Amino acid sequence: MQPELELEDVQGLVARGYRTLPAGCFTLFGVEDPAAGDTLEGLIPRIPNAGPFTGDVALHLALTASGLRRLGLPAPIMEGFAAEFTEGMTAPHRSRFLGDTGDTDPRSWLWGGPASPRCDGMVLLYARDATLLNAQQDLLCQALRAGGLTVLAELRTLPFTDTEPFGFRDGISQPVIEGLSKAAAAARTVPAGEFVLGYPNAYGLLTDRPLLPSSADPDRLLPRDHRRDGLADLGRGGSYLVLRQLEQDVAAFHRYVKDAAGPAGPDLLAARLIGRWPSGAPLVKTPDDDPRLRDDNEFGYHRADPYGLACPIGAHIRRANPRDSLDPDPGTAKSLEINDRHRLLRRGRPYDTDGATGLYFLCLSGNLARQYEFVQHTWVNDPAFNGLSDATDPLVGPRGPGGTTFTVQARPARERHLGLPAFVRVRGGAYFFLPGIRALRYLARLPRTRGASGGHRTRARR
Amino acid sequence: MPHQIAVTIRAPIDEGRADELRKRLVEVGRAGMAGAPFRFDRLPGVHFARFFVLPEQQDLTGAVIPAGLVYLGEVDAPLGRHLANLLDVAGEGVDEVFGYCTGYPGTGASRTTRLRWLRAHSMPADAFYVNTIGRGQAQIRAEATLRAAIEEFLDGQHEDLSDRTPLQIRQEIRAYVNDTPELAWALHPPPRPALSWRAKEALHRFGVPALLLPALPALIVAAPVWAVLLRLHELRDEPDTERPAPEQLQELAELEDLAAQNPFTAVGLVKPGPLRGLTIRLVLSAIDYAVRHHYGHADLAGVKTIHFARWVSMDDRRRVLFASDYDGSLESYMDDFIDKVAWGLNAVFGNGVGYPRTRWLLFGGARDEQAFKYYLRRHQIPTAAWYSAYESLTARNIERNALIRAGLNGEMSPAEAERWLRML
Repeated sequence: MQPELELEDVQGLVARGYRTLPAGCFTLFGVEDPAAGDTLEGLIPRIPNAGPFTGDVALHLALTASGLRRLGLPAPIMEGFAAEFTEGMTAPHRSRFLGDTGDTDPRSWLWGGPASPRCDGMVLLYARDATLLNAQQDLLCQALRAGGLTVLAELRTLPFTDTEPFGFRDGISQPVIEGLSKAAAAARTVPAGEFVLGYPNAYGLLTDRPLLPSSADPDRLLPRDHRRDGLADLGRGGSYLVLRQLEQDVAAFHRYVKDAAGPAGPDLLAARLIGRWPSGAPLVKTPDDDPRLRDDNEFGYHRADPYGLACPIGAHIRRANPRDSLDPDPGTAKSLEINDRHRLLRRGRPYDTDGATGLYFLCLSGNLARQYEFVQHTWVNDPAFNGLSDATDPLVGPRGPGGTTFTVQARPARERHLGLPAFVRVRGGAYFFLPGIRALRYLARLPRTRGASGGHRTRARR
Repeated sequence: MPHQIAVTIRAPIDEGRADELRKRLVEVGRAGMAGAPFRFDRLPGVHFARFFVLPEQQDLTGAVIPAGLVYLGEVDAPLGRHLANLLDVAGEGVDEVFGYCTGYPGTGASRTTRLRWLRAHSMPADAFYVNTIGRGQAQIRAEATLRAAIEEFLDGQHEDLSDRTPLQIRQEIRAYVNDTPELAWALHPPPRPALSWRAKEALHRFGVPALLLPALPALIVAAPVWAVLLRLHELRDEPDTERPAPEQLQELAELEDLAAQNPFTAVGLVKPGPLRGLTIRLVLSAIDYAVRHHYGHADLAGVKTIHFARWVSMDDRRRVLFASDYDGSLESYMDDFIDKVAWGLNAVFGNGVGYPRTRWLLFGGARDEQAFKYYLRRHQIPTAAWYSAYESLTARNIERNALIRAGLNGEMSPAEAERWLRML
């Protein structure tokens, strides 16, 4: 029996990307003072949960590992989080793993890197229009600054569109979570625990998360885990959040496809790099841009196009979500089932500031290692993905000194594009935890309770 | 081509010097094993090689198993040539690191003495999986060069290809290979392992079942008894619930993901009692038989990303060492184990102390995703210094390259030629 997803304890960002609120801004902050706890707690009533939503404004709150530590979460409890999260995105071995080296080394990042101020958390603000957003954003920053926090960066997004800066429709394929209203209509769903901690995941198990002795939560703010001796569950309702600022060199992309296309034309080459036409229509289904297929997500690769003749094996969408194309037994339910253990719930938005354009790539994960990091390393970055050679993801994969190779499978013989330059550069990033709403209240009250009980941070002024 | 062999050399480290040696190995490994002092790049027939320190460990009775230095090589036969090369080519490094070990004769001693010492400290593997039996290191490297050359040739011809048939294109590639003196070898099939070795393997393949046949009635009677006893043991087992320490994870991660492949090294104590001792011996024997005669063709029970893997019982069978060279990240390797071959992992590691609870040996166990991942990480030994002879080639790349080469030979139908061209 699957426990029902408690929608009122899950931040609404898990359930929706706020298409109805096109204006957005992500505010990175540092926790400077124990008063920050009260400030953050003051934001909680403004956070919509994962139930039905009809507002003009939405606010969400996520914390990094350093933020949790600054609020006073003790080290043994921190260890209950995933190691990827507590270590952070910029540990040297992780940078190698994620491909953040050379030009995209975290030392060169605008935020989140070792040379940048410590990022403790983020407020995600969404509003119906820019005017409303600006007014709310000003108030927010004032409140943060007055309340023991520093504002490190305001990452303003472009008005929500479903087209990313290279000109392609984005965000079409998303996993559908069991227990959300959308699930009823979906052909394929994934268990809630894949994205929300405290619920069974794809293996029918609960992903590890911080559990506290009941005595650490005397006010009973947190739900109890009845399978584990009634421990207080700090993870339940929460999700890991990955944010990466991906700067896109739009001119270079279009220049490249124009120069490299040959007789087939730049539009076709660009579509092949991505795997969809600008409208969103998948190449595997149509050799021309057919807007009627713009939302089409009902396809596999193995039966329709096993050799990549319609959609190249190395196309971005065929790597980031290979569907039924990988071992064991491509084309079978087993292949799809394994693919489903490596899905990303994407909530990114494009930006355009100071002449730089790109995407604030944002995704949610119940298990960073098996989902986000696996997709990045094993599918996107791997030069030998699915039998290819010297070929990282043509769109977002890292580049060696000589660029990368993109192969267009064709009859009678393939065509290779050598030396693909980088079109995307990582400019910032961090792992966050998007707590459940009850957990958020517990965390926000930590500076006070720990201050009062003589915890290791005793600077509380209350 | 010769067949491949697993070389395992293990020696106890002088009291109090294990830590110093471990640091030195990491340093040498980081600088690259192809360079001084090992120069593995100059050793013919080495696919992979590693040195690591097996830390001191207490067995289940509390007795201390002292720290040891272990060398593992996945190399082309014969063993004698490899050991000689270790001294003649990699001698500077070998003398240095084995110099930390008790009783190593050292640089002052004659080559024969040192060779004898290495042989005396070699130990057999209980089972050794080879991705493709008989595909030597030189062949793998040469076929990678061949593929790159053919790809470049095709790149240069692209304008003219569209109106040709696959057979015509194949013919042009063959002509190109034939006309290029450095590549002309590819038009002949690779040599097979020695006839004497193949005869021995064939004898094993048919001899073992023949010998077991008379015992079959007794085995049929014994099997249910064994199964029930095992199930009772399983119910009493205590799975380890500890998570790996952050420092341990970090130490391991720093040594990983530097090439297309990674090394995996782990050691664990075997559960106590004669039943577990018998079970693991049976399972390792079965694996030995299976990998020698069934899985030597680029596929280990559904997992195609493993180049080599070995299981070595040590310390009077109190411990088992598992070591492999696999493609991609440890996360993807572990996911493959869980999703594709959990039963196989359970059969072996299920006899290890602390493994997630199994049911009837094959079920459960690795399917407890996180417990299994923690178990592997907690038993993993940092592979301090590791060498790969072909850092950018996955097992799948190697297999494809071999098929490209094989496809240069013989006659093909148009459909076969089209299939062959798809590999480029």
